[in-house]
Amino acid sequence: MARYTEEELFQLKPESDVPVNFDIDSFRAVIDKVKEIQGLQEEEFQQFHRRRSSHHHGKPKIKHTKPKITTDSDGWSTFDNVTRRKSSVAAGGSGVFNGSDDETPIKETPSIAQETLKVKPNKNISSTKPADSRDIVTDKATNTFNAFAALESDDEDD
Amino acid sequence: MSVEEVTQKAQDLNIDQPSTVLSSEKEFQLKHPLNSKWTLWYTKPPVDKSESWSDLLRPVTSFETVEEFWAIHNAIPKPRYLPFKSDYHLFRNDIRPEWEDPTNAKGGKWTHQFWGKTPDIDDLWMRALLAVIGETIDEDNSEINGVVINIRKSAYKIAIWTKSADNKEALTSIGSKFKTVLKLGDDAQLEFLPHSSASEKHPQPSLVL
Repeated sequence: MARYTEEELFQLKPESDVPVNFDIDSFRAVIDKVKEIQGLQEEEFQQFHRRRSSHHHGKPKIKHTKPKITTDSDGWSTFDNVTRRKSSVAAGGSGVFNGSDDETPIKETPSIAQETLKVKPNKNISSTKPADSRDIVTDKATNTFNAFAALESDDEDD
Repeated sequence: MSVEEVTQKAQDLNIDQPSTVLSSEKEFQLKHPLNSKWTLWYTKPPVDKSESWSDLLRPVTSFETVEEFWAIHNAIPKPRYLPFKSDYHLFRNDIRPEWEDPTNAKGGKWTHQFWGKTPDIDDLWMRALLAVIGETIDEDNSEINGVVINIRKSAYKIAIWTKSADNKEALTSIGSKFKTVLKLGDDAQLEFLPHSSASEKHPQPSLVL
């Protein structure tokens, strides 16, 4: 069996380059081309996919602030305008003081955004609730019948 | 035969210009044969999703002498220059660098992962090649099928592929020498993974040095 130590192999190393038995230029060209493509892909990735420190833990959870909506007993929903920026006050558009001593803000006219209704229609046809909650207003009974009060009425006593 | 005749015959022999291999430097190429033929393979990184493993793995060239080895080694790009996801494989004869090859099927590999940039990776790879083609790492007989380097973004991996996975004594001897070749200290681990476990999600090494 032919064996060569590392030292022996180094002794046989030619000092100058020797021609090889395959197309080395084509081989190098393939490698250069792949490197070029990888470079472009990396550049594109860095441009459009910003790396985050939380890369290994999934995407960070971003909380979007939901507008506060209050719904009254009649089913009317309105945006809560309590958290209004002070800058808008300074601009004089809203929250203007009336100049009186008690400095009570004048009740302003509601903007279009504040008037927006959030109507949740009742899709259950068999339900006794009206399909449109706005109908509750018209259907609302003005006088309610109290059965217990009826039993205790004077007519029965007779 | 007279003296004149002998002189004439000697001149006819033309001793001053012998026609042996030694007469021409161009023709005289004494080469040192290796124990077997070796084939260099290259795995091209995929740049298109349609490319399959068989498209990417290609034989580059073969050699049978020390001189041919040096010519090829000096010409091809070194591991540090290769693009990520590239592999060089040097395998004996016509063994394909795949688990499915009958010569590899019952074998395994001694492997070590060099994390980070590893500035001397070109030198370590060359040392591994010399140990394999010089047959100094395998004193018994042709237990080694090939040697592989994987170039990845976070690490380099060098592995020696063996013919068997159960010859513990021979494998331990090879592993110890391979550890020296790769200049690994006592704190660095060299793992032997049988190819039969290669398809597992988290293969466990059967030997560790």
